[in-house]
Amino acid sequence: MAATLSEERRDPASARSDIVVAVRGLSKVFKDFWGRPKARAVDGVDFEVRQGEVFGLLGPNGSGKSTTIKMLLGLLHPTRGVIEVFGRSPRDVKTKARIGYLPEESYLYRYLDSRETLDFFGNLFALSKEERQRRSEQLLEMVGLTGARTRAVGEYSKGMQRRIGLAQALINDPDLVILDEPTAGLDPIGCREVKDLITALARRGKTVILSSHLLSDVEDVCDRVVIYYGGKIQAQGTLKELLATPDAVRITTPTLPRETMEKVLEIIRRDVSEDKVRIDTPTQNLESYFLDVVEKARARAAETSGVISGAKVAAYLKGEGEAKPATEKILERFTAPMPVVPGETRVASTESKPALDEEKLASLAKPAEPPTPAKSAEAAKDAPKPADLKKADQKLSSLLGKRSE
Amino acid sequence: MEPLSIVRLLIRVGTAFGVFALLARTLFGPRIASIIGLTWKAALRFRLFWVIAVLLIGSVILLPIVIKDDGTARGFTQILLTYTLSVVTALLGLCTLWLSCGTLARDIEENQMQIVAVKPVARWQIWLGKWLGLVTLNAVLLAVAGACIFSLLLWRGQKLPANQQRILREEVLVARGSLKEAKPDIDAEVERIFRERTKDAPVNPANAEVVKKQLREALKVDVVRPGYARRWKIDLGLRKNFLRDQPLFLRLKLYAASTNELGTYALRIEAGPQDSPERRAIDRTFADNAFHEIRIPPNLWDAAGVLTIDVQNRDRVALAFPIEDGFEVLYREAGFALNFARGLFIILCWLALLAAIGLAAASFLSFPVATFVSASLMLVALSSGTLASAVEAGTIMGVNEESGEAGKSVLDYVLIPMFKGMLKVFQLVQGFSPIDALSTGRSIEWTTIGVAFAQIVLLLGGLVALFGIVMFTRRELAAASTQA
Repeated sequence: MAATLSEERRDPASARSDIVVAVRGLSKVFKDFWGRPKARAVDGVDFEVRQGEVFGLLGPNGSGKSTTIKMLLGLLHPTRGVIEVFGRSPRDVKTKARIGYLPEESYLYRYLDSRETLDFFGNLFALSKEERQRRSEQLLEMVGLTGARTRAVGEYSKGMQRRIGLAQALINDPDLVILDEPTAGLDPIGCREVKDLITALARRGKTVILSSHLLSDVEDVCDRVVIYYGGKIQAQGTLKELLATPDAVRITTPTLPRETMEKVLEIIRRDVSEDKVRIDTPTQNLESYFLDVVEKARARAAETSGVISGAKVAAYLKGEGEAKPATEKILERFTAPMPVVPGETRVASTESKPALDEEKLASLAKPAEPPTPAKSAEAAKDAPKPADLKKADQKLSSLLGKRSE
Repeated sequence: MEPLSIVRLLIRVGTAFGVFALLARTLFGPRIASIIGLTWKAALRFRLFWVIAVLLIGSVILLPIVIKDDGTARGFTQILLTYTLSVVTALLGLCTLWLSCGTLARDIEENQMQIVAVKPVARWQIWLGKWLGLVTLNAVLLAVAGACIFSLLLWRGQKLPANQQRILREEVLVARGSLKEAKPDIDAEVERIFRERTKDAPVNPANAEVVKKQLREALKVDVVRPGYARRWKIDLGLRKNFLRDQPLFLRLKLYAASTNELGTYALRIEAGPQDSPERRAIDRTFADNAFHEIRIPPNLWDAAGVLTIDVQNRDRVALAFPIEDGFEVLYREAGFALNFARGLFIILCWLALLAAIGLAAASFLSFPVATFVSASLMLVALSSGTLASAVEAGTIMGVNEESGEAGKSVLDYVLIPMFKGMLKVFQLVQGFSPIDALSTGRSIEWTTIGVAFAQIVLLLGGLVALFGIVMFTRRELAAASTQA
């Protein structure tokens, strides 16, 4: 996807025609009853979303991402700036016909059952009765609510409400899907299914805008992200661009014999002083980058209308008394590859800069089983299996049925 | 009821709903029709519809049992129709205000509107769909209540004495048209008399208004001194062709200059052309300050279709006949059932306006505030008599009864013109009295229906709707408090 986008960037005309959402100089100031400014939720935001992209809006609570989404949907009016969705105002009825929206909470009518809910929203898109019935059946099956179709939505659990919410967002086969915290309230399987669905939608040329503060969601499915803090965009780009560390080189190899390692280090020490050489597993990830961005923004004392975290978890919750030093943990990990335990906390590389340790180096040089660094192991775990993707795609194909891949 | 009958009934109701849904879709398109359907489902699922229906039917059945009538056909009908229709109108009016505020304001406050508004449906379609949903809901409830009242009227009417049943059939449960003399231009007459009488003896300008007011009061009645007669000429126009061989009814009201022991006053009423052998005379006594109806034999009008009625005062005191309440001739125009339906239609127009007011308030206010504002507006409209008194006195400070002097306030400069404007608006709504017309067997003409619909629904309802739709379209549907 990134390659495709790079090619498009070289052709501005093509890029312009592919722009689904264009946001320029967008600001939103909430005012009180007397018109006095109360909070600046969004401040001078610019970005573009292209067709087929999965675009992530990241940020802590109160950073302005939901306000941005609501302005994209025409539910809030910008104080300043311009929004174009499919080249028109987001409040244009023709624009709205191409959008599917899942809000951050279930805002559905509690007295309707799931079939009536889908039928009602299908009616708002002026779908024929047969089409409404066909799509409703398939969507209910897709989100696993076929058995609960006659129960009132108000009786659903939060996860079930999320699922029916997702189904209503897709009733019109939207070209642009806007998902606000789509995995909130879902169990891990539901989360995986939603991510598969997003992937399948993108493969079918749909554009997806995803707002989340769950970094793994974004990391798994997004092509490009913007990171909000204090109503401003602190960083934006493809994940590859954002997560790369340009002034350093990482060589990833299978575990090497001690002699080879020493030779390599010897060669490196000729050009670089020892204190600048680090050996670790490639654990740089979005989470650490994101926290870094937020930390930098906080350091600049950027104003925010949202929550300001103390950035410290209570000691009794962390179990600090039993913790080993971070350096020890890292050396243990990269010298003695262990099976990845689901849910294991990964330590961000930026938080630890272990010095060279001869003993650990010895263990590192052990002939070993194939290395399973945390990142790759988790990625393998989270990555959609071909069979899963195929299944999701089949569901989507039968549901939407129009475009070929 | 047998199970099979219940199944059949359910199938019929289901079919009816399907037919209504199809009709709504055809008339208003799928989007508005689905909003109408949603409003209905909300009312049915929250059991609001059933609660209101039970309340209406209960009040319609219980009220006539509690309130006793005088045993006459007219008294019985008047009591039954006046009380039941008033209660139905009040109940439905309050429910409509509450429902209309709730259906929009709560959708906005509970964020459901966010999902609806992002779909390809214009805000005006949402607003109109909600309004049509409420109007159709009211129409059904009003029809149910009306059917109960009508059935009750027929059923209880059978228990009246035979002669009263005849009156009920012929004179009460009918739709009667009304004919009056052309109303004089009282203000012009006041000016003419004032100029004439003050020509030689000028009046202090400060007292001119008081004098004119007294003249106006005097001109609001026709005074007939003892031994004198007053002639009324009622032009039947083209109606004379339809009224041949039909009895007519003279409806009159009188005031006595001074009361006698019996409280009744003798009149001789002669109807028909001056020298015609057909001319009929009726000698009777009448109680003052009450309406009376006298049957007039058919075909007493002249060749031009003018019915002449002479009323001679045979009592010792002067008698006054009010112009406003009328000395009128009533004639049978149509059956009661159709008239009743027309009366209910005017009530429905009022309810449609109330629904528009509630929705307009909810378009920019929260649910409790919108309800309070709409209810207050209704209360002000109901106290239009107080506003009229203030306008008549020219001040909000009242008039000193002893000195007759009106107080003055700076606020009068603002409030009195405002009250005048409000009264003019209220008059557009209150100028129709279907309950009064139905309980007195008066015909509610098609032109009245047309004017009521135009004034109440199209003009006032349209203006209120326009305001509501503009406010709703401009409103931000995601509150700041819900922002992440």
